Amino acid sequence: MGSAPKAAGQPVLHADKLSKKVTSGERSLTILHDLSLSVAAGESVAILGKSGAGKSTLLGLLAGLDTPSDGELTLFGHALSRLDEDGRAALRAGRVGFVFQNFQLLPTLSALENVMLPLELSPRAGETQTAAQWLARVGLGERVEHLPKQLSGGEQQRVAVARAFVTDPELVFADEPTGNLDPDTGAQIIDLLFTLNREAGTTLILVTHDHALARRCDRCLRLDHGKLEAVPDNIVPTAASIDEGAQ
Amino acid sequence: MSDVNWRLAMRSLKRDLRAADVRALFIALVLAVAASTMIAFFLDRLERGLERQAGQMLGGDLVLEQRDPFSAELRERLESAGFVLSDQVDLVSMISRNGRFQPASLKAVDDVYPHYGVSYVDFGDGTEQIASGPPPGEAWADPRLVELVEIELGDRVQVGQTELVVTGIIEREADQSGGFGNFNPRLMLNTADVEATGLVQEGSRIEFEILAAGSPAALDQVQGLLAELRRDGVEVRDVRVDRPQLGNALQRAESYLGLAGLAAVLLAGVAVAMSTRRYVERHLDTAALLRCFGASQRQLVTIFTLQLMGLALVAAAIGALLGLMGQAILIWLLVSFLPMTLPPPGLMPLGLGVFTALAVLVGFAGPTLLRIKRVSALKVLRRELDPLPPSAWLVVGVASIVFGGLLWLYSGSLPLAVGLLLGGALLLGVLWMISALLLSGLLRLVHRFSGRSEWSQALRLGGRQLARRRQAGLGQLLAFSVTFFAMAMIVLVRGDLLSTWQDQLPENTPNYFAINIQPSERDPFDAAVSPRVETQSTLYPMVRGRVIAINDQSPTDAVPPDARGDNSLRRELNLTWQSELPEGNEVVAGEWFSAPQPGSEEGGESQGWMSAVDATQRATPVPISVEDGLAERLGLGIGDEMTFSVGSDEITTQITSLRSLNWDSFQPNFFVIFPPGVLEQFGHSYITAFHLPEAEQGLIRELITDFPGVSLLNVDAILGQVRDVLAQVTRAVELVLALVLLAGVSVLYAALTASLPVRAHESGLLRVFGAGSKMISRIQGAEYALLGFASGLMGAVLAELTTAALYLYLLDLTPRLHLGVWLLLPIGGALLIGVIGHVLSRGLRRQAPAASLGLLGEA
Repeated sequence: MGSAPKAAGQPVLHADKLSKKVTSGERSLTILHDLSLSVAAGESVAILGKSGAGKSTLLGLLAGLDTPSDGELTLFGHALSRLDEDGRAALRAGRVGFVFQNFQLLPTLSALENVMLPLELSPRAGETQTAAQWLARVGLGERVEHLPKQLSGGEQQRVAVARAFVTDPELVFADEPTGNLDPDTGAQIIDLLFTLNREAGTTLILVTHDHALARRCDRCLRLDHGKLEAVPDNIVPTAASIDEGAQ
Repeated sequence: MSDVNWRLAMRSLKRDLRAADVRALFIALVLAVAASTMIAFFLDRLERGLERQAGQMLGGDLVLEQRDPFSAELRERLESAGFVLSDQVDLVSMISRNGRFQPASLKAVDDVYPHYGVSYVDFGDGTEQIASGPPPGEAWADPRLVELVEIELGDRVQVGQTELVVTGIIEREADQSGGFGNFNPRLMLNTADVEATGLVQEGSRIEFEILAAGSPAALDQVQGLLAELRRDGVEVRDVRVDRPQLGNALQRAESYLGLAGLAAVLLAGVAVAMSTRRYVERHLDTAALLRCFGASQRQLVTIFTLQLMGLALVAAAIGALLGLMGQAILIWLLVSFLPMTLPPPGLMPLGLGVFTALAVLVGFAGPTLLRIKRVSALKVLRRELDPLPPSAWLVVGVASIVFGGLLWLYSGSLPLAVGLLLGGALLLGVLWMISALLLSGLLRLVHRFSGRSEWSQALRLGGRQLARRRQAGLGQLLAFSVTFFAMAMIVLVRGDLLSTWQDQLPENTPNYFAINIQPSERDPFDAAVSPRVETQSTLYPMVRGRVIAINDQSPTDAVPPDARGDNSLRRELNLTWQSELPEGNEVVAGEWFSAPQPGSEEGGESQGWMSAVDATQRATPVPISVEDGLAERLGLGIGDEMTFSVGSDEITTQITSLRSLNWDSFQPNFFVIFPPGVLEQFGHSYITAFHLPEAEQGLIRELITDFPGVSLLNVDAILGQVRDVLAQVTRAVELVLALVLLAGVSVLYAALTASLPVRAHESGLLRVFGAGSKMISRIQGAEYALLGFASGLMGAVLAELTTAALYLYLLDLTPRLHLGVWLLLPIGGALLIGVIGHVLSRGLRRQAPAASLGLLGEA
């Protein structure tokens, strides 16, 4: 794993005036409004926001899991609006990894099988060894045959992290990766995530409401009332300053 | 890419076997295939077995009979087609001993005799079973002959110009060939002795028979030859056409088995549909993840289709194996009535089994599976984004079409399949509405339960749970109704089938025929018999007459070529006269003779139809009633004229009615019935049938002494044979019934497995809110019981309606109301679903609430 960012300098992702509206009956609600963003290869970007701010919606749009109501999104140099659902899926295959708040492990698959799953879609030699190596890297070398229900939350998220990196992706999306974990376990997962990210030179887009986590990224953005704004480094409070403020 | 999909599909399948829904799906498919192959295998072999059985009664698979010896060329042709031939000569001659003379029916058999079965012969040390005829120089006599001529074993009797030693008393012949055509007592001898008797002469009453044993293929091969022989006036009995006595009962049994097989397939289909639903729901997450990782829609469908197809193929292989074993058990149950050398099961039923599995899967799972295709990758972020379930119409529509196709395939009748399907679809629509109403009504009722007891509370809460999941509840209600319905129907039809068989041959079915009762003996005979027998048929007058012209042409010219060898044209027919339609007969065309004039008396010598007209010189033909089967064979209808030679006279008649009658009834039956007033002037005798109880067997000896001219024919042996077959088929029917019940339980298993996670979630919540295990157990029990009760009620409605339709149109039985069903199904349903549900969810109740809550959508 090299530490140099993949295809450095080129924007991996570029969003131009993205909007997302949802209609419920006669009422229309704008969740995202005229939102623009560019992420360079190798960069790590945090998107901060309160619950219900539309962070997950934005992540879904950026990853091509959903389509915007307006605006244009370019991923790996391909305009997503010109691709259909299957085209967007093909673009993700092997190049995009995901870490979810609720882990999204399949309950009937062992840890190893869960990690192997993305590999099986674009098979290469030694899938099992690759998956086992990744599990070893996240510290679960002894638990490969365990089912998700036999693992703790932190362990499950480690499996999910291994699964996100197993295809050696160019871009990893993380949606509240510590949201379901206690602070200590969450911190371990974050360490793991950033270590792997650095080692693999992967671009990372992370959605969170955890400022401490956001601070570890190269760049930090806040989603508020459907708009995205840059947060200067010194404005992101540290865990210490939050503690001080509380006193 | 296809290789990738295949690998991925097979890996997922292997991993998936851990999941309960896949196991349920697998069990359902295995059962569908096991049921269909078992029944297909079995029917295939039963068909052949029945032919053998009939062959045993006929004496061979093919019997040829004529008045002259058969040519060597004909023998060669039959032998080259693969038949084994046995020769037989039947003739009537006087036998004597110590100056006592008695006409006897001689049956000369060769060393090959009998092709099938054994004879029961008493050689002095009790009855033995023996698979041969008497050796040359010996003869076996029936008990009546022994009585009449006072024979002891070892005595010599004079037969024509030779003497034979009677070495055995023959109680039951292996076959019925050489049959009842004449009613003299039997003497069986060896064909080697026939020439020495000197009885084979020009003009003697003699029949030469070839009894041929061979495969259905051999029979097919000689059909052309048989048609030729029939045209030449040879009487041909083909085992597939002339299946005596058993016809109706077994045809019904076959219909029943086919029906039961279909019920099992339908039930398994319902189980497949329910398991697939759960399977798909569980795999929506997998599908969304795979979409995230870059799988295309098409790839998803391919992967899951391949996975299910793989499952179906393995299930088909196991199911077919079980089917093979099952049919072996069936055959083993029936072994005493099937010949030992059945051809091995063919490949056709195997193919049918695999096809059935795939069809059931495509039909019952296909539309649901398409839901996976529409899954959005965004579901990984927002769990609630499940694609809509397919429209109920699509699911039911596709399943109906596939099931209709299977119906057609299995029944071989398109109108029947379409009819059943349309009726079924209509019924399902009505059922849906009634179920919705029933469920609402029941829930409203439960809400009113104001009792404070734990059970009232459980019923209220259980009812509410059911109401909350209304759509799912309705789906389960429908599935359970259909299950109970199919189970009930198979049980009902079985019960009625068996009782109809028993009714057909009740305990007091006549076991003796008395023939050749002279008019002067009529009243004394009746007086001697009536008080000591359980049932007795009318005393029918009988006159022998030969058909000499049909519509003024010679009979052989007037009838279709195939009918030229028909027995009715070659022999004298037994004619009777009756003013009333005999019991068990039904006029199917034309009209029965108009009421006799006052004073006319059935069987009397006085006035009757056309009393004023001289029977031999009348201008208008005499009306007659003809049996519809004979009319059909001879190509005759209402208005056709038949001329009979009776004694030295000729009588021209015209057919004014056709009758159907039950040949299996063991009652005297007549092809042709005249009105009173025509035949009385000719020499006639009377025939009757009666059931003689075991305790009154002494009557026979008295009758033989007091009425030496009357022939008594014991048909206990044939009755016994028919009853044996029915008893064995009954056992087969019961085994198939067990299979259907098993398929029903598989539906319950599948449905309850499918609903387990939701229930787990609910019970988890209830626990969080403070409900104890007992309370939860009671609530769940109440919910299951309510569901079972409603399903049982619906099942009863369906079963009653459908059995009525089936009886009328398929099984030819009279519909009747089954009160037991209305009681048993709702209560039994509540208990069954309650208990199975309770047992299945036992593990859930033991689980910590956190685990139950986490289970939702992930089990």
